[in-house]
Amino acid sequence: MDYVQPKSLAQGRVASKKRVVEKGGIDLTFLILVLLLLAIGLIMLFSASYAYAYYHENGNSFYYISRQLMFAIVGVPVMLIIAGIDYHILHRFALLAYIGSVFLLILVLFVHTREDFNRWLPLGPFSFQPSELAKLAIVILFAHLISINHDKMKDPKYGVWPFLVLMGVVAMLMLLEPHLSGTILIVAIGIVMMFVGGTDLKWFMVGGILLVGGIVVMVMIPNVVSYAASRIEHWQHPELDPLGAGYQTLQSLYAIGSGGLMGLGIGNSRQKHLYLPEPQNDFIFSVVCEELGFVGATIIILIFVLLIWRGYVIAMRCRDRFGSMLTVGLITQVGVQTILNIAVVTNTIPNTGISLPFFSYGGTALLLLLAQMGVILSVSRQTSIEKE
Amino acid sequence: MAKTPSYRMKTRMIIALSGMIVLGFSAVLHSLFQLQIVQGAVLQEKALNQQMQSTRIGAERGEIRDRNGKVLAKSATVSSVCISPLQASKLNEEKQKALVDGLSQILGLEKDYITKKMKKTESQYEVLKTKVERPDADKVTEFVQENGIGNAIFMEEDTRRYYPYGNFAATVLGFTNKDNVGAYGLESYYNKTLAGTPGRVVSLKNSRGVTMPMQYEQTHDPKNGNTLVLTIDEQIQHYLEKNLETAVLEHKVGNRAVGIVMDVQTGQILAMSTKPDFDPNDPYAIFDSNTAKALEEMDTVEQAETKKEALAKAQFDQWRNKAISDPYEPGSVFKIVTSAGALEYGTDTPNSTFYCPGYIEVNGRIQHCWVWASRHEGHGLQDFTKALTNSCNPAFITIGQHLGVHKFSENFANFGLTEGTDIDLPGEAASIYYKESQMGISELSSASFGQTFKITSIQLITAASAAVNGGKLMQPYIVKQILDPDGNVIANVEPVVKRQVISEETSKTLRLMLEQVVANGSGRKAQIPGYRVGGKTGTSEKIGEGDKNILSFLGFAPVDDPKIACLIMLDEPDLYNAFGSTIAAPIVGAVLADTLPYLGIEPQYTQEELEKTTTKMIYITNMDIHEAEADVRIAGLKFRTVGSGTKVVRQIPGAGELVPEGGTVVIYTEEIGPDQMVAVPDVKGKTGSAANQMITDAGLNFAASGEGIEGSQNVAVSQSPAAGESVAPGTVVTVEFASGGGSDSQQNG
Repeated sequence: MDYVQPKSLAQGRVASKKRVVEKGGIDLTFLILVLLLLAIGLIMLFSASYAYAYYHENGNSFYYISRQLMFAIVGVPVMLIIAGIDYHILHRFALLAYIGSVFLLILVLFVHTREDFNRWLPLGPFSFQPSELAKLAIVILFAHLISINHDKMKDPKYGVWPFLVLMGVVAMLMLLEPHLSGTILIVAIGIVMMFVGGTDLKWFMVGGILLVGGIVVMVMIPNVVSYAASRIEHWQHPELDPLGAGYQTLQSLYAIGSGGLMGLGIGNSRQKHLYLPEPQNDFIFSVVCEELGFVGATIIILIFVLLIWRGYVIAMRCRDRFGSMLTVGLITQVGVQTILNIAVVTNTIPNTGISLPFFSYGGTALLLLLAQMGVILSVSRQTSIEKE
Repeated sequence: MAKTPSYRMKTRMIIALSGMIVLGFSAVLHSLFQLQIVQGAVLQEKALNQQMQSTRIGAERGEIRDRNGKVLAKSATVSSVCISPLQASKLNEEKQKALVDGLSQILGLEKDYITKKMKKTESQYEVLKTKVERPDADKVTEFVQENGIGNAIFMEEDTRRYYPYGNFAATVLGFTNKDNVGAYGLESYYNKTLAGTPGRVVSLKNSRGVTMPMQYEQTHDPKNGNTLVLTIDEQIQHYLEKNLETAVLEHKVGNRAVGIVMDVQTGQILAMSTKPDFDPNDPYAIFDSNTAKALEEMDTVEQAETKKEALAKAQFDQWRNKAISDPYEPGSVFKIVTSAGALEYGTDTPNSTFYCPGYIEVNGRIQHCWVWASRHEGHGLQDFTKALTNSCNPAFITIGQHLGVHKFSENFANFGLTEGTDIDLPGEAASIYYKESQMGISELSSASFGQTFKITSIQLITAASAAVNGGKLMQPYIVKQILDPDGNVIANVEPVVKRQVISEETSKTLRLMLEQVVANGSGRKAQIPGYRVGGKTGTSEKIGEGDKNILSFLGFAPVDDPKIACLIMLDEPDLYNAFGSTIAAPIVGAVLADTLPYLGIEPQYTQEELEKTTTKMIYITNMDIHEAEADVRIAGLKFRTVGSGTKVVRQIPGAGELVPEGGTVVIYTEEIGPDQMVAVPDVKGKTGSAANQMITDAGLNFAASGEGIEGSQNVAVSQSPAAGESVAPGTVVTVEFASGGGSDSQQNG
């Protein structure tokens, strides 16, 4: 045997004589990209939030950044610790995490911090979104199932129905909150994982046809036509209702447009001065665009792309399918979430509440994100590189 | 389970990754490019529109000063108190109530008014009150600080116009509207010069209107307005207005009166007034008490519309500078111009004679001389001077006919009566006249004595000035100098000679003829002892308006070297008890009598006047004040007028009493109260000069009797009235003098 099996790989098996399983080292590139995004994200959060914080948090300009920083300080060691743990123990938690998530998703319908959206569970001085955990649980469970059933994925009994049921339960509960954007995100991650996991392509075609058909049927219902038309009209023309539904979008576009090519310079956003609602949250990227310009925004997007590319490289090099699928799920989440967030702030798609990883304010979400990055780093330690 | 990812999985991973990059990231990058590069400028402009707030800094409007630097109009900083209803709505109820209560108390506003403004919560800016002056503005500032409502209430500084002398030269100065823009008069004509350029502060504000903590602030400093220095002399203006105001009352002038004093050599306006006028500090208030009262009485609902119209008309009327805006038929004053033409063209000479049988036939129609109405006979044979002195219409019809239509029209135009004077005031009206081509013998005949055409007062005095100043038609002007805000001279206005109308010689001849009008003719009441005054009266019936008249007099002095001219024009005086044509002359006399010494023009008394030691007091009781003053002045007496009436109710000394040289006649237009009586001082034993001094100081008149005051040893021995008696000011105290210690030493001895 011409490979060295790491001690921690209790359940590891040799895949091929031609492969070398490298021991130990985490993927430094990925780690650096994570830390880079985290650093930029924190700086931009401070810039975007201080004016808003000053007015909404009793003159405390540091309200948001101090909390976020605290979570980052806790989160980075957590990430590194998780990176050191063998991710295979997640097999054991796969079902448990899912059941726990479903339980919390039901619980949050009855116990929540805000009246309008049943999304946040109170957690001591903080709050927590069970949907964040559900995302993770779906990824772990899907990775688990795909790694077990990898050879039978073409059979819908293994490759389609279990996933649809598991995803359906979670999606339904989240729609009840309601949390459309979270639902879309989870479904997107699920579909990508099924796709990579080996589900027969025809099912995606069936799904696509059903989706189109569903939309057609919806549109055929008389009242829906005008409603949809009006929604589309307001999405395309936020200036129709500049002080109402279009306000946030319009203010976001003003901010992005104000940035121009080079931006107004860091700290110099004007729109964050109470024009842009909650600039520290879903619309933080508008402030980024205003301050850093098209150039800065493009660089940040490129860093995200690099991170995702690196994630996929890790997934491809992974010595087993569980780690590979985990990585695909977790990094796809970051990718899809980033795309959706920027698409919303640029009004490329209708406004739906979705945060920007590493940037948006949210301590527990950041902590969870860093933990997920830790899992990917853990996976990265067990790569196999083909050597002929 | 430990199988590595299959080839198919890796392929699908690459597809998923590529899909995300191609469909996702490229799409959002494309959106960003569209928004930031393609539409960037447009969006940035829209963003700046909501972020930038421009605050105006008012420029201080320049002053208006008289020729000696007295301030006639000035600006002071005032504040506008503004509210941001949006911010006010965020205050708690207690503070909102305090805000309404406090501001309504300090600013004197209705609480409902403030509450109403506060309800416009979509607005960030509503003005509560403009032109809040210093003490109140400071109170508001303090109130705002105490209550911590600085977000909701803020102040903007602006300026307010003050006219320290009230209704003084009002129709000349004009006024500014509430936006500080000149609305009438000089304020309007020179608005750009006075206004300056307001400054601006452009700064970035957050959505609550609070300045963003950034260095982005552009300040454009305001440029304060320039100061006008007028040709008007505050003192002369005062003389004119005082006399014009009295004239309006004493002759119950129905359609306002005009007065102008002009420097005949330069065309500078020394004083210009229309009465009644208004107070530019409060221009919308009706200043004339009768008109105001009449308006107030229109209080029924049905009259509301009429009242509104009447008020607007009354405002418009009182703002109107009649001196330049109302053309009228000048009547006989115009004979100055006709005479100048006849003499200049030589169609008549001072030696020409005219016979007036009391009428003249023109174009088959009999036209009566004005004298016919009272005497049923004419002026008889008269030379040119006498014709002017008599203001004989048949003679002037003849003179006009001698000139002929062409020369008459040319002369008329030469004197500037077909064009505006181009005075630097707004609203100068054009004259109305028959053109040469339209003028027949009838029109020419009437025009010769100032009928059938209309010119403005300013045109008339400008033409008359040209006739007497040596023949130069001047462009009248009222702004002499423009100063920048630091007091540096920007522009000096020099006199402009429009043209030489008549020769120096003709002008001199005419002056002497006009002197005769004042010396012996209808202008007698404009005489001033010590000065050679020339002038001409004028009466014109307002055609088609019943027996309404315009009476005027134009006087100038001194005749040998003319300095000033004064025109008084009374539109629709009440003539029931006055000898019509002469009522304006004493007013001009009064103005000139005040103005000439003020200008440093020394009186030159005749030998006879100088030798006179006493004057017999004339009877003036019950006369109109200007008439009475003129008679006393012409008699060579000084006088003091007590009271604000328009008729003489009492005179001291009485008619026939001897007033010593240097004595003062006191003319009462109101009955005197006991507090105005004076006690006669005790002068027994005093020398003549000492006694005179004591009596004059007490406001009484001194007369000597007995051996007189000639001998240096003579002292007073008795007096009448007796010492300590309470008498009216002006009473003559007759003191008997005797020589060599006289009674004084007897008493002591």
